Amino acid sequence: MAEKIKISTKKVNVFYGDKKALENINLEIPEKKVTSLIGPSGCGKSTFIRCLNRMNDTIDICRIEGKIIIDNEDIYSKEIDPVLLRAKVGMVFQKPNPFPKSIFENVAYGPRIHGLAKSDDELDELVTQSLVKAGLFQEIKDRIHEPGTSLSGGQQQRLCIARTIAISPQIILMDEPCSALDPIATAVIEELIDELAKNFTIVIVTHSMQQAARVSQQTAFFHMGNLIEVGRTDQIFSTPSQKKTQDYITGKIG
Amino acid sequence: MGFWSFFFIIVFLGLTTQWYGTNKALKLNSNIKEGPKLPSLPSYYGTNAFLWLVISVLLFLIVWVFSKPHILDYILIQNIPKALIDEFGGTPNMLIDIIKATDISNIFPGTNPIIIENALYYNKIDKLSDSIAYSIILFVGLTVSIFSINKISFLFKARQAVEKTNINLLILCSTIAIIATIGIILSLIFEALRFFEKVNFFDFLFGFNWSPQTAIREGQVASDGAFGAIPIFSGTLLITFVAMFVAIPIGLFSAIYLAEYAKPSVRSTFKPILEILAGVPTVVYGFFAAITVGPFLKNFVGEFGFTIASESALAAGGVMGIMIIPFISSLSDDVIRAVPQNLRDGSYAMGATKSETVKKIILPAALPGIMGAVLLAISRAIGETMIVVMAAGIAANLTLNPFESVTTVTVQIVTLLVGDQEFDSAKTLAAFALGITLFFATLFLNIIALRIVQKYREKYD
Ligand SMILES: Nc1ncnc2c1ncn2[C@@H]1O[C@H](COP(=O)(O)OP(=O)(O)O)[C@@H](O)[C@H]1O
Ligand SMILES: [Mg+2]
Repeated sequence: MAEKIKISTKKVNVFYGDKKALENINLEIPEKKVTSLIGPSGCGKSTFIRCLNRMNDTIDICRIEGKIIIDNEDIYSKEIDPVLLRAKVGMVFQKPNPFPKSIFENVAYGPRIHGLAKSDDELDELVTQSLVKAGLFQEIKDRIHEPGTSLSGGQQQRLCIARTIAISPQIILMDEPCSALDPIATAVIEELIDELAKNFTIVIVTHSMQQAARVSQQTAFFHMGNLIEVGRTDQIFSTPSQKKTQDYITGKIG
Repeated sequence: MGFWSFFFIIVFLGLTTQWYGTNKALKLNSNIKEGPKLPSLPSYYGTNAFLWLVISVLLFLIVWVFSKPHILDYILIQNIPKALIDEFGGTPNMLIDIIKATDISNIFPGTNPIIIENALYYNKIDKLSDSIAYSIILFVGLTVSIFSINKISFLFKARQAVEKTNINLLILCSTIAIIATIGIILSLIFEALRFFEKVNFFDFLFGFNWSPQTAIREGQVASDGAFGAIPIFSGTLLITFVAMFVAIPIGLFSAIYLAEYAKPSVRSTFKPILEILAGVPTVVYGFFAAITVGPFLKNFVGEFGFTIASESALAAGGVMGIMIIPFISSLSDDVIRAVPQNLRDGSYAMGATKSETVKKIILPAALPGIMGAVLLAISRAIGETMIVVMAAGIAANLTLNPFESVTTVTVQIVTLLVGDQEFDSAKTLAAFALGITLFFATLFLNIIALRIVQKYREKYD
């Protein structure tokens, strides 16, 4: 692939205490494309994605070796402040987790702590724009001051996406963002991911191979803490080079 | 038959009944080769018989315990010669008490021989009546267990019967608890009403002067007593305020530290220490306040040219605040930890720092629960007695100055009831009026607090 590489990991090992969760992961993620991570549960997909914005720092027993380079900088070097890194690498979680605040306040949260809006009007505009980009604005524009938790599951997840893009990250990580949603809400989010890929580098963990096939250009297959295979999505699903990948996509292991 | 032999026979009877009932059911079941067996598991038949045995025995035992004194008194009176009763003023009550109190193994020389004779007699019927009663109860128990074992048949649903008995036992226990509470409240109310016959309700609630000394004997020179409770209420509020001023910030911040910042190892040392603080008897805090904190404050404040009473609202309230710290910190710690982890993750993933997350996400989410904790702590502070008795004094000053000595509702209740008093003097009855006021104040606070905590609990689901 000739695209510009946004993230590359070099010999990444991750441990929880003494237990090795990831071993020797070397992966390159292209800019403004969707990369999906697939693999049986417990294989380390979440662990990997949480390394990319240093969310694993919040887990005491988690230790990481190797290099993760974003835009030519090792994000685990001493000069990097994880708090600033997370503003650049946003994350959407498996279970929608809107803050117990109004829809408006949910989206305004990031801009407020990072001082992105100089005036109330600017903040209003930023919030509206983010909601529009997340495809939520039309549905909720009359009740923007109602609690975020009053929305449906799919709407809550799009609210979380809106919240994330409000601070203009360059990368958005999504850890099984549709696993708590019904098929219709899932389809809406998948469409949204297509749209977002124009402006953001997206890494999405999914347990659904159809979803990986639908939304991503690159797919990486993890198995028991190892990166087995990575390549163009159509190629991974049609002609995988590894036996394990073949077994997984045909449902023999899972 | 003594009590212990009775007790062990009953235990033995109970175990046998359980075993025999179960066995009988097992046998009935094994006789059936085909078709439906007993409707319940065999052990339920044993349990059912056992429960009935225990219930009937307990019932009769309770009846006996309550009726025994009356029966024995009656028998005793029949035995006492009329002349002796006349000697004691015609009423036998006092005489009966004397006879009962006579220690027959160590008779005081010179005791009236008729009294000794009756004391021996009383001792004899005491033992005899117990034996008879125990035998009757044993007989009843035996009958009941035989009866309930006989009842075992294919028509009898023992499982449902046991269930029903269990429910009824549980209902009985909770009813007892409720009745006891209602009884206490009613007695408070009735005594308070008697107080309000003597003192106007509004004079009590809104009066500014509290000096409850009334004449004990007729003709004694003393004031009529004034029962304006405002100084007491204000004293209570002042001390509570000082206590909260100490306890809320320290308790809350230590809870935030424990829940959000402390490493597990630090947490596991700090929490037990806080819990030890909660286990210190309040009387210890009381003398800490009176002997250490009071004099210290006096010197310390003196350095700056102020004067402070040796028994001050500041000393009592401050120490009470320390007492309440673990209360607030442990409850707040619970509600802070109850804030779901995914909210924290969401905030960190937005690039928020830990303190931003605490301030903007966790505390607002936990606020209702923390409010509940604070309200419970306040009601605790209002009801606290020992520290204030020892450190705050009994002078009913109407002041908002924490350097002065004030008094609280609980302290006044203690001082009103300690010492020789007629039980229907206004002074004594005032304690009940204060008690009922205190009761309603804390009840009100607790209801609000529980409401808030409950509402908050439902929120994350
Ligand atoms: N916080 C944690 N502490 C200890 N072990 C963990 C933790 N999170 C994940 N693991 C372990 O790491 C491995 C990978 O987990 P995870 O990354 O969640 O897998 P996936 O997301 O692919 O299902 C699993 O074996 C899991 O038990
Ligand atoms: Mg996962």
